[in-house]
Amino acid sequence: MNMIEVRHLEKRFGDKVVLNDLSFAVAPGEVYGLLGPNGSGKTTTINILADLLSADAGEAWIQGEPISEKSKYALGIAPQMISIYRDLTCEENLRFFARLYNLPAPRVEERIRELIAMFRLEDYRATEVAKLSGGWKRRVNMAVALVHRPSVLILDEPTAGLDVSARFELWELIEALQKTGVAMLLTTHLLEEAERLCSRIGILSRGRIVAEGTMDELRATIVARQLAIVETAAEERLQQAAASLGWTWRRRGDRIILWLPEEMTLQEFVQRFVDIPLKSVALQEVTLEHIYLEHTGSYEVPDLAMV
Amino acid sequence: MVVRYGQILAVTTRILTELWRTRRSLIFWMVFPTLMLLLFGLIYAGGSSTATSFDLTAPGVLIGAALFFSCLGGPISVIVAERERGTLRRLLLSPLQPSAYFLGIVLAYVCIALAQTVIVYGISFAFGGRFHGSVLLGLAIVLLSVFSFVGLGFFFGARFTRRTEDVNGPVAAFGVPLLVLGGTFFPVSILPPFLLTLAYLDPIFHMNQSLKAVSGLGYTAAQVSSHLIFLVAFAAVSMALGVSSYQRMLEQEKRA
Ligand SMILES: Nc1ncnc2c1ncn2[C@@H]1O[C@H](COP(=O)(O)OP(=O)(O)OP(=O)(O)O)[C@@H](O)[C@H]1O
Ligand SMILES: [Mg+2]
Repeated sequence: MNMIEVRHLEKRFGDKVVLNDLSFAVAPGEVYGLLGPNGSGKTTTINILADLLSADAGEAWIQGEPISEKSKYALGIAPQMISIYRDLTCEENLRFFARLYNLPAPRVEERIRELIAMFRLEDYRATEVAKLSGGWKRRVNMAVALVHRPSVLILDEPTAGLDVSARFELWELIEALQKTGVAMLLTTHLLEEAERLCSRIGILSRGRIVAEGTMDELRATIVARQLAIVETAAEERLQQAAASLGWTWRRRGDRIILWLPEEMTLQEFVQRFVDIPLKSVALQEVTLEHIYLEHTGSYEVPDLAMV
Repeated sequence: MVVRYGQILAVTTRILTELWRTRRSLIFWMVFPTLMLLLFGLIYAGGSSTATSFDLTAPGVLIGAALFFSCLGGPISVIVAERERGTLRRLLLSPLQPSAYFLGIVLAYVCIALAQTVIVYGISFAFGGRFHGSVLLGLAIVLLSVFSFVGLGFFFGARFTRRTEDVNGPVAAFGVPLLVLGGTFFPVSILPPFLLTLAYLDPIFHMNQSLKAVSGLGYTAAQVSSHLIFLVAFAAVSMALGVSSYQRMLEQEKRA
């Protein structure tokens, strides 16, 4: 049974189609990364799973339960906007939200102790949230999502606005959580974050998943084995030369990105373009960023892609 | 439907803790009625004894200078803050019943109201004032007033105010004239006849008159029955308005 399952969701706001036949599933123990440009419908999807919004068509389940009052007990959500009570302490916030789930008092207190230890909040348990820095507020915001021991956790941009080290600590926390068996759906604009944390990634574009899988599976959606990022004044000649080799290319800004069908050294690469003045060349493996930009249609593509 | 006492108490505890942390509202709610009571108690003592003047001043001050500001203004700012800070959406993610939320807030303000009652009557007693009628009946009038104010607070908070700054203007503009018309700070006997007729439509008038009669003059329930009937009806309407506006706001919040 999948922990989250979404089938053929459709959502329209007025004339604007936001979700268009969206389907994906999150298996037990998995961290699924939902990536997509601003406005691609990630938060809308989460709101539907949270029962804050109803879909125009399609279905969704949390741990086999259709979205309902009952599915609320299985689901924890850390919203993108920090939403906790600023005049309450960390501990009081946890206690308040835990009590809303109708748990007996000893269970509530036990859970608070666990979460304080897990999120290393010992020094701040009695500090009012208003007095915490952004990083600690984010921690409490996330801890609150776990008060009722949900088996599914949704994190909407959990590290937005955090500095490098705070982000790193939160990543470690998410990894620790995954080890406890909580299935997660995570949205982020940081591809590095997705690559590190997610066991599977779905790329959302124009309302549906356009590519999905593990990092290896995603790499396989692109015929390139390696990329050459080239800067040159003789762009047309480079493009023609690439086409005659049967290689495709993309443009981003003033760089041409060539898709290499096999791995090669810098020397082997340069030998193929001896008569073209190259300003700079960098060879790199196919990154998530490249896959993402490719599938979300963010590149300038040749008229006739010769793959 | 199961009544979730745990949820109700969680909400009440939260509201009271927040008030205790910030203190600002609490201090205003306690100091303002104290000063008003001292002032009017001493002003009206001019002609007669302080005992009689505090007897008749305490009820109006309790209703108009204490309960009005805490139980009407308080719930408005709770709802506005909840919406502004995104916690309302988070409550919607939990299984918190809307009725438990409503009752939790009512209960929190009942606690505040009782504390204000103790303070106002404590001071009145210190100056020789007494509670002449049935304390239970007096308590019933206080509770009806609390329910009326909290219901209206939900109504205004959920319907008309989006930001914290929106709260004070309407309360001052419409509330304070109603306080004056309701005879909070002076006997309604000095009102010209047409204003007196108008005052009969003002719920605060009925709260003041019934509590003054019971507490200051020892009237029985039967003697203040017309006020009580008005208050019961008004409290019921106001709670119904409050609940329905709140539910409507939750629906809107879901679509936002
Ligand atoms: N209540 C609403 N009414 C009208 N349009 C809406 C509403 N909510 C969202 N939208 C629109 O739906 C689209 C998807 O929004 P959504 O918030 O789901 O995007 P997102 O993928 O979460 O973006 P971001 O990465 O910026 O958070 C946007 O174009 C947004 O303007
Ligand atoms: Mg979003």
